[in-house]
Amino acid sequence: MTKNQNPKPVVTFARWGNYTVAFRILLEQLGLEVIPPEKTNSQAISEGSRMAPEMFCFPMKVTLGNYLPALKKGANTIFMVQNVGGSCRQRYYGAIQEKVLKEGGYRINFLDFKATPIDIYRTIRDISGASFWQIMKAIIFFFKKLKMIEKIEKTAQYYRPREIERGATDRLLADVFLKLEEINKTKDFSIFKKETFRKLKKIKIENKKKLPKVGLIGEIYTVCDSTINFEVEKKLGLEEIEVYREMDITYHLKKLIFPWKDRTIQRKINPYLRSTVGGHGRDAIYEMLHYIKKDFDGIIHLLPFQCMPEVTVRPILEKLHQESGIPFLSLSLDEQVAEAGINTRLEAFIDVVKNHYHNKKPLKNYKNE
Amino acid sequence: MTIGIPQALIYWKQPNFWEVFFKELGFKVLLSPKTNKEIVEQGVKVSDPENCFSNKVYWGHLLWLDGKCDYIFVPRLKANKEKLEYCPKFFGLPDLSKILVKTPILTETFDPRKEKTEKTFKKLGKKLKKDSGQVKKALETALLKEKELKAREVREFFEKIDSEKPKIILVSHPYNLCDEYVNLRMKDVLEKLGAEPIFIDEVPVSQPSTAESPGGARGEKKAGPSLIINYQSPIKFHWEFGKEIMEKIQEVLKYKISGVIEISSFACGCDAVIKEFVAEEFKKNKIPFLYLIIDEHTGEAGFQTRLEAFMDTLK
Repeated sequence: MTKNQNPKPVVTFARWGNYTVAFRILLEQLGLEVIPPEKTNSQAISEGSRMAPEMFCFPMKVTLGNYLPALKKGANTIFMVQNVGGSCRQRYYGAIQEKVLKEGGYRINFLDFKATPIDIYRTIRDISGASFWQIMKAIIFFFKKLKMIEKIEKTAQYYRPREIERGATDRLLADVFLKLEEINKTKDFSIFKKETFRKLKKIKIENKKKLPKVGLIGEIYTVCDSTINFEVEKKLGLEEIEVYREMDITYHLKKLIFPWKDRTIQRKINPYLRSTVGGHGRDAIYEMLHYIKKDFDGIIHLLPFQCMPEVTVRPILEKLHQESGIPFLSLSLDEQVAEAGINTRLEAFIDVVKNHYHNKKPLKNYKNE
Repeated sequence: MTIGIPQALIYWKQPNFWEVFFKELGFKVLLSPKTNKEIVEQGVKVSDPENCFSNKVYWGHLLWLDGKCDYIFVPRLKANKEKLEYCPKFFGLPDLSKILVKTPILTETFDPRKEKTEKTFKKLGKKLKKDSGQVKKALETALLKEKELKAREVREFFEKIDSEKPKIILVSHPYNLCDEYVNLRMKDVLEKLGAEPIFIDEVPVSQPSTAESPGGARGEKKAGPSLIINYQSPIKFHWEFGKEIMEKIQEVLKYKISGVIEISSFACGCDAVIKEFVAEEFKKNKIPFLYLIIDEHTGEAGFQTRLEAFMDTLK
């Protein structure tokens, strides 16, 4: 608890999976003192949900829990983005978190800004006093880092099910993310990037192996943060299933910058849903249609419990599942969910996926012959 | 031709309006009956388990209408006249209805941010093969009827405010307040306990100064109103009901009220946000506040106990 009136801002922000590293560097490069939010663990989740309104959605409770240790260490400013447009509750995360924290006795400066470039730029400039070029430089570096993180994640999705030595990819990944936190110079970064991908290539894999493919769809926070979704990607990968996921920050930012992407999505899903439902509701349908077209063997739908957009589109996803026969599993995550329960459901689902894959295979061979 | 209207959820946003509108256009209108146990059970069965209770009730009404009429009317309400959004769950209603029932769904998107409401009505008329003149006339009649009802509501509100009984404000969405089965006849229960329940949507917002209305004295003004007059809401809602409820709360705080009960349906995402600010508002003014969550499992006995206990605290 920060009792002293410290004029210098000590910043913390909402944690988001592996991307946290990139956000931290961005703020540090602007000359701000940063205390990164605590890693998501059971303590953070339980503390966050104790403070938060009961019926609120899960990511808000988690991010709230992540702030607390940083606030105890002396952070006094929180960054929160109103990122997902439309009618989703994400818009009110900042307002509710600020209210709850202030009621809890924390003296904080809450920076809740909209995800428009101008608003972001203004907020950053006012808090850090950095010049335009400094901000631009930091943002460019941020995007570089973000791109690398996403690329590593995507490569890992390919490597994991094919690796000969079990767990080699994940060991390397853990190491890379740890080291990435310390790198804050552009020069070091490019060397590190080259080195990382060289190391990744050294992992022995069975390159030609054909594997069942599963698409991950759903709410962006739960899909991207492996600590929230009980490492679904890793678990599936180790069971020799290739995981695909389109949803990441770049995808989201692209949609913000190029609004016509939304229109393309709307056109594709017109037979099923003729309107936005807030958040990434439309994207879930769009991605599922895409995966069905690409002949995938399963879809996993991840959502925070009672997430309004995802719950609204779920009946449509289920209809798609019934029409196409693709295995479909929807996992709602919140503070009550236990890993054992998720594991059981995943195991059963993996069996279904593999069955689906093996059953359709002879048909394909027949076609080829 | 018969047009079915489910008497739940969005119906209560504009009760009677659609009924009058379609009747004026020369169609038969079939309203689903008042919510009962069977309807709720049906709705719960087909609904997504995490959907909110009000939505589940809506599916029940929809299924009741299935096969009994030529069209079921499910509008897609996106924004109101002030360009504030409705609940995002309303956006997908027509699409989800299409999955559920075999009867064709009659729908039109109401979004004044993109299209003038009159034009939307014209489009709706075209779908029903009615020319714009007929539609315009029907619309006017429906709006007139709506206005009439509103005026009566306001009159009733002032009667209630003048009563000697302890006044309890019920804060919720209209589809929770007006549906007796859904809110477990809370109004009757409170009346039996000797209270005067007042719905939050009955509270008139921009009424002329109180001296103008007949009857003279209008309830006792609360002491120390200076706090309220220069009031600025701590949050700006982009939801129409959020803004409306917050405004009406400011209005109702001017009168002497004994207690407030907020009802929200289980899994209502919007209420999770609004409740925080509603509760804060009343806590600040030291008015007893009770928060009740309703769903398909809520028992009447448990409700009664809590209401009795709440009434006891007021004494």
